[in-house]
Amino acid sequence: MAKWFLPFYLFTFLPFTSCVDEEEFPDTPQGNFEALWQIIDQHYCFLDYKQHEIGLDWQQVYNKYKVRVNKGMTNQQLFEVLADMLSELRDGHVNMNAAHDYARNWSWHEDYPSNFSDSLLRAYLGRDYKIAAGIDYRVLDDNIGYVRYESFQQGVGEGNLNEMLSEFMTCNGIIIDIRNNGGGDLSNAQQLAARFVQQKTLVGYIQHKTGKGHSDFSAMEPRYLEPSKQLRWHKPVCVLTNRHVYSAANEFTLYMHTLPNVKIVGDHTGGGAGMPFSSSLPNGWSVRFSAVPMYDTQRQPAEFGIEPDYRVDLTVDDFKRGKDTIIEFARKLLAE
Amino acid sequence: MVVSAQTVHNTAWQVGVGSTNILDTYLSQEKFSGVGITLLNSDERLRDSCRWSTIVEHELNMSSVEDRAGKREELQGGYTLFLGRQYLWQWGTLRLQAGAMAAADLGFIYNTSNSNNPAQGRVSLQLMPTATTSYTLRLWRRPLKLRYELQLPLAGVMFSPNYGQSYYEIFSLGDYDHNIVPTTFVSAPNLRHQLSVDYPVSRRLTLRLGYLGHYQQANVNNLKSHIYHHRLMIGVVADFLKVKR
Repeated sequence: MAKWFLPFYLFTFLPFTSCVDEEEFPDTPQGNFEALWQIIDQHYCFLDYKQHEIGLDWQQVYNKYKVRVNKGMTNQQLFEVLADMLSELRDGHVNMNAAHDYARNWSWHEDYPSNFSDSLLRAYLGRDYKIAAGIDYRVLDDNIGYVRYESFQQGVGEGNLNEMLSEFMTCNGIIIDIRNNGGGDLSNAQQLAARFVQQKTLVGYIQHKTGKGHSDFSAMEPRYLEPSKQLRWHKPVCVLTNRHVYSAANEFTLYMHTLPNVKIVGDHTGGGAGMPFSSSLPNGWSVRFSAVPMYDTQRQPAEFGIEPDYRVDLTVDDFKRGKDTIIEFARKLLAE
Repeated sequence: MVVSAQTVHNTAWQVGVGSTNILDTYLSQEKFSGVGITLLNSDERLRDSCRWSTIVEHELNMSSVEDRAGKREELQGGYTLFLGRQYLWQWGTLRLQAGAMAAADLGFIYNTSNSNNPAQGRVSLQLMPTATTSYTLRLWRRPLKLRYELQLPLAGVMFSPNYGQSYYEIFSLGDYDHNIVPTTFVSAPNLRHQLSVDYPVSRRLTLRLGYLGHYQQANVNNLKSHIYHHRLMIGVVADFLKVKR
């Protein structure tokens, strides 16, 4: 019997096996258009949400842009059409990268006042501020600790945070200024937020796509913020935001928003609640898109940003006086 | 009275180079191709009084591949341990061995351009029927052995993220979602085969030249992947005799 097993196996099971392959679009303008449209159609995580919120119909987008693609067009022309198509998603996490250009939709901050001035920031920090890895900090005149975290792409160590909080030990409150922070590593945002939470706290939910359909998602899994086992801050905190707060910085705002002793001051954040994945086109252009949606505690995506507790804009008068309206508002709030 | 048992160790060390073709839709819809290197060590133990042999093989692969536009690059590496038992039938110089094998595979594909999905881990355990046939003929007054080895995985388990699941969810948040996937010859139709020619250069040492094809495929969690290795192999085979009294 044993000697017949192999031939039996070969002739019985081999017909059921086959190559695992994927359809390859040709490296032509039409092929690259089809490939890009399909990547978004099958992998982008906010198609249903944006259909509901802004009336996005991805099939209509296909029909609208397909007629703009022809085989005689140049690379630059093709790039322009594909970039326009991606702009329909209104998502800062959606980009296409070619050697000659970087496709993006930055309307989430370009269409709004910046509410941030580098000149004013320098005036507040002075020259003797301290630098702990990615964080600049100092104690302001009214005994308020001021923290500037420009980008979550720059890491910060637990030792850095211990030193910073030790410096602020006698302060009445802390201002964490993340304006213009476009995101970076989510773990840096979590690490900082963990210094301000006193117990395990639900900060939102996360899910992922399980298939190609626009509605194919896993169950929402809760996300918790665990308190740091090292030095923690118990007194009031103000987080300063503007429209340029995006992605991991948006998530940081989401975390801090759930904490009772924290107030968000400034402008609406930019959003960016989908963790981006990457792929590539037949011609080698890389594509980035939101793939893993994250939600707040009400199970709503913060894709279009978070409303602050106190809406404050920089005023021209304050700017002329060398004052940052948002920082000054936060100082008053903490003094109260 | 002294009773002795002899065990013949047939050990081969081979190195090979050749083409690699990779598809992993978790990383890109595009296929990547390039060159790779394989190191292969195989050891077969056969007692003189027994027709069952024990096989242990170690296969190490490294490849560097790029997309068809030549703009994106992936690096692939993997180690596979094969453990098997085969039964021997022999008719003159024609030998046929058949049996079962287990293969433990550990590897990765790293896409140098991607952001939050830069790499795909590959961990799997497969059970597979295996067969080896060899035929020895004489050429230039020396025995020349033609050998063919085949493995076809029947079933197993493998690790895979879900379709759009990030590694952050799996390893930082601990959110598992069908990440250990049972596989069959339908969902993971793999094949590994080797054709070789052994030419003895001394009483104990044999030169081996051949082709190794290792085709790993999977279609699980709506993700498709394949790694095709084609290698031109060269190496040496040595026979050792162990006697137990």
